[in-house]
Amino acid sequence: MSSPFHSRVAGALVDDNLHIALNRVTSRFTTLRLNALASLPHADSVRDRARAIRAHTLSRLDIYLAQFADSVEAAGGRVHWAADAHAANRIVAEIAKAARARTVVKGKSMVSEETHLNPALEAEGITVVESDLGEYIIQLAGETPSHIIAPAVHKTKEQVGQLFHEKLGIPLTHDPALLTAAARAKLREVFLTADMGISGVNFGVAETGTICIVTNEGNGRLTTSTPRVHVAMMGIERLVPTLDDLSAMLQVLARSATGQKLSVYTSLITGPRRRRPSKQSEGGPGEPDGPDELHVVLVDNGRSRVLGTRLAEILYCIRCGACLNICPVYQQIGGHAYGSVYPGPVGAVLTPALEGVEPWPELPQASTLCGACRDVCPVRIDIPRMLLELRDAGHRAGQTPAWLKLFLPLYQLAATQPALFNFGAAAARWITRALSSNGWLKRLPPPLSGWTDHRDFPAFAAQPFSAQFKNHHKGAKTQRNTKDSS
Amino acid sequence: MKTDRDSMLDRIRDSLRSAHLPSANDSIPPRTWPAPQLDSAALADSFAREASTLGVNVHRPSSRDEAIETVLTLLREIGANNILAWGDDDLCLPEVGKAIRAAEIRIVDPNVSPDSTIRREQLSQLGGPLAGVTGALAGLADTGTLALLTGPTQSRLASLLPPTHIALLSISHLYPDMASFFVAHPDAARNGSNLVFVTGPSRTGDIELTLTVGVHGPKTIHIILIDAQNNR
Repeated sequence: MSSPFHSRVAGALVDDNLHIALNRVTSRFTTLRLNALASLPHADSVRDRARAIRAHTLSRLDIYLAQFADSVEAAGGRVHWAADAHAANRIVAEIAKAARARTVVKGKSMVSEETHLNPALEAEGITVVESDLGEYIIQLAGETPSHIIAPAVHKTKEQVGQLFHEKLGIPLTHDPALLTAAARAKLREVFLTADMGISGVNFGVAETGTICIVTNEGNGRLTTSTPRVHVAMMGIERLVPTLDDLSAMLQVLARSATGQKLSVYTSLITGPRRRRPSKQSEGGPGEPDGPDELHVVLVDNGRSRVLGTRLAEILYCIRCGACLNICPVYQQIGGHAYGSVYPGPVGAVLTPALEGVEPWPELPQASTLCGACRDVCPVRIDIPRMLLELRDAGHRAGQTPAWLKLFLPLYQLAATQPALFNFGAAAARWITRALSSNGWLKRLPPPLSGWTDHRDFPAFAAQPFSAQFKNHHKGAKTQRNTKDSS
Repeated sequence: MKTDRDSMLDRIRDSLRSAHLPSANDSIPPRTWPAPQLDSAALADSFAREASTLGVNVHRPSSRDEAIETVLTLLREIGANNILAWGDDDLCLPEVGKAIRAAEIRIVDPNVSPDSTIRREQLSQLGGPLAGVTGALAGLADTGTLALLTGPTQSRLASLLPPTHIALLSISHLYPDMASFFVAHPDAARNGSNLVFVTGPSRTGDIELTLTVGVHGPKTIHIILIDAQNNR
């Protein structure tokens, strides 16, 4: 019971600052999302269609990925194929070296978190500066993101104020506007001097070779515009066939993520800036600004393998974060307790899918299977189904604890023999009611103490469900008969 | 020897033989709901309403002269002596550029060099101006969004570096939504290296979701809606 996961959870449950921050944020996100979807005509049909687009794209991923790569190159970009995290980091480091880049400015990219790009670049003597405000905060704090779209969601404004006071030397303040202004001033300098920009990719469009990057702050636009070299890191599953399909995905992405109809900046990038011809005879006129080199790094890192499994549906994910905000487990423990790069319900499937169940035995268990994640998912991913698949895989891999292995056959025996079941239920009813005060038990022996360590356990009801059901059913029947005859 | 590209595509093909992909069909189903039909007055009203909700200042001048005067007044209020701007022919009203120069406001050269050292110098100059004046390829009425496409005189930085962005948009370039925009401009993404949809001023909620406006992009946006009917 004292695995690193359990001790992280135990720590999170007693962290008051974390609970203040999580509470402020998850409830707000959830309300904003509901309002935004209400403003979308035909929202249910739009979501069904968004799901169909993702499913269709993945079913022909080889074709669309090849088409995308060809289109990027036709537009003057370079495409790199990274089989795993190591290859991805090596490719980016080589591009940086060839560009003699000493300072790199980064936009938000979950795939670069997945490959642990920053330490890999820093080992090469390259300075990496995160430019998304949330990412900048956690970089200063030496932490990792705790939410897919709001990386510093676990910090209160008081904590951010203290951090900026210490690291940036600004007067102590808790005012988000002043803190944001301080970060803006610091980062503006970096944007205007960085040798290279690294971004993630929200969607790649196969027909045009366009990469779409969505941000609110403008850091994504600057990262991909001011430096001479732009490197975009992209998971190979993040494709849509056409611009029309992109418009369909964008209708649900921001609404599900932040509750906006559209994020502030939706940047569609097709190739590096058009070149200014050196001679009159060479092509049309060029563009005044933008990067002179565009590199797209296609990162597999386990995705092609997941595609062949019963977990392939998790690759439909568009990284909106709605499943995190709605999840009763995430709301209590926050993102860091999961211990994985991708937290919350999506992370509980994606992480073991990409890295195997062996290193992550607890993640598929970190869910109540309530199904709220499936309900809010803009592309209706059946996360509970896949959590059950993973629990099954974990059981087959021998991850079930000994006491549970002993208990389950006993339960199976009782559950299939009504007399035995009723006897067991009567015993549990008698014991729990005898030991409880005001209907609640404060402490149970191990392994049941896992429950009572953090909350009370209710005593069994005086009358079992089967008896209540029988009575209720009798009553309902009488009522229905009366109705029918009237 | 197999290239990295071939190896990756082969792995994908192998997996696709056993892939479990619920809801996957041979083609993407068409939309089953009708595209929004709005006349140009309704489009302009919807655009102005949505943009205003986001904190954008929408101006609807009744004549060409009034539009030009609006731009000059805004620049004077900001105290902008030098600005970033698109070329005259891309400003929706070509006379705007002329009027700006006549008012002795300098338009900074937007070109940045492919040479790192020179580029750094130029960028630090481009960071100075207090306003950027641009046209717009289109507007999206359902979200109050500007579509800006890069081109020979259409820089990215004019709508990005200065704290105030002034955009001139013809109401004949309004579309109900992004899907209908792409139908009318199928090559928009190919015609320039950057097509950006701007929906309101730069903002963040990264500190406790407290809405803070004006992060790395403009804090203030003015959109001047130009009605060709009024432009005589």
